[in-house]
Amino acid sequence: MVDLDRPIALIPAHNEEATVGPIVAQVRELWNCPVVVIDDCSSDATAQAARSAGATVLPLPLQLGAWGAIQTGLRYALRQGYRTAITLDADGQHEPQDIGFLLQPLVDGQAEVAIGAFPERASRARRIAWSYFRWLTGLKLEDITSGFRAYNHAAMIVLASCEASLLDYQDVGVLLILRRKGLRTVEVPVAMQPRTLGASRVFRSWWVVGKYMLQTSLLCLARVGHNHRPPATDD
Amino acid sequence: MITYQITSMTIGASLAATILFLVRRDHLHGPYAIWWIGAAATVAILGLFPRLFDVLAGKMGVSYPPVLAIVLGFGLLLLKMLTMDLDRSRQERLIRRLAQRLAMLEAQENPSPLQPPLPSEATEEARSADATEPELAAIPPPLPQRERDRE
Repeated sequence: MVDLDRPIALIPAHNEEATVGPIVAQVRELWNCPVVVIDDCSSDATAQAARSAGATVLPLPLQLGAWGAIQTGLRYALRQGYRTAITLDADGQHEPQDIGFLLQPLVDGQAEVAIGAFPERASRARRIAWSYFRWLTGLKLEDITSGFRAYNHAAMIVLASCEASLLDYQDVGVLLILRRKGLRTVEVPVAMQPRTLGASRVFRSWWVVGKYMLQTSLLCLARVGHNHRPPATDD
Repeated sequence: MITYQITSMTIGASLAATILFLVRRDHLHGPYAIWWIGAAATVAILGLFPRLFDVLAGKMGVSYPPVLAIVLGFGLLLLKMLTMDLDRSRQERLIRRLAQRLAMLEAQENPSPLQPPLPSEATEEARSADATEPELAAIPPPLPQRERDRE
């Protein structure tokens, strides 16, 4: 059994009342860890569903997007004294059983961040986007946009900082900050369910995709030369 | 017969008067007020002495003076827009951090009934790790219930 080092589960949610309750209950039942749902300005009963399933709800007064919500959770977790955080999507894509696989590299000291990867889920367009970003950034990861991650204390501190507050998406920008700070990221293969309800926030329309591609490309180019610091020794 | 000098003087003076009025009414916050007072002074002077640009252009080797005025004005506008966006980005960062802080405070006010109590001995180290933003670091941690009631 993995030593959990008191992890906390963070679930960003925007209008996910149908799925968030069962996920909270499942995580609590399987891992007996505190669950925090960050309600990203939902217009439905997401917050109530999460609270009655036993989660602590952080109600955001403004819609900050998935990354803004996760950062809220990370800041909250740090303030409460937690040293390991797991993030998962509220739409039921991620299997709470797999949280153990995510924690293992952190416990082994193999990496500061573990990403649950399931690249097979991606559509053709998304794969092309990923390989483009891999080429642009030199990141070696297969599944860049996965929201199923585990962060250790050092990674939580880096990502809770102001520096990460202007990011709009939780993928490339976050990975680049981690790399710049010398934190190691590993991918762990996990199973993923198809989305039961709702759609990806990014891959929604060509306009949004275009904006996302342009913004993320610029982010990558702006960071050229900031990369490849030697890994940090410890937190 | 209205001369071009009267036209430029009227435009310059009314622009400067509008700006001064807004600054005096406190509609412009400190650093912005300084920029706009400078702008008011410039338009007033140029309105009164439109020949100034002819002299300046002659000294700078520009054969057609109005172009110098347009280029300089355009450049300053671009600069102003750039600083506006810089400031907007700074504010966006602050607003996001504030929204996050608000969500955290609200969660502390209404803890989940089912969740086991969270570890209250949040270390100073963790607090300082989070309070990295200078503007927000000064906000004290939430007051105990007793003190909150008194307020």
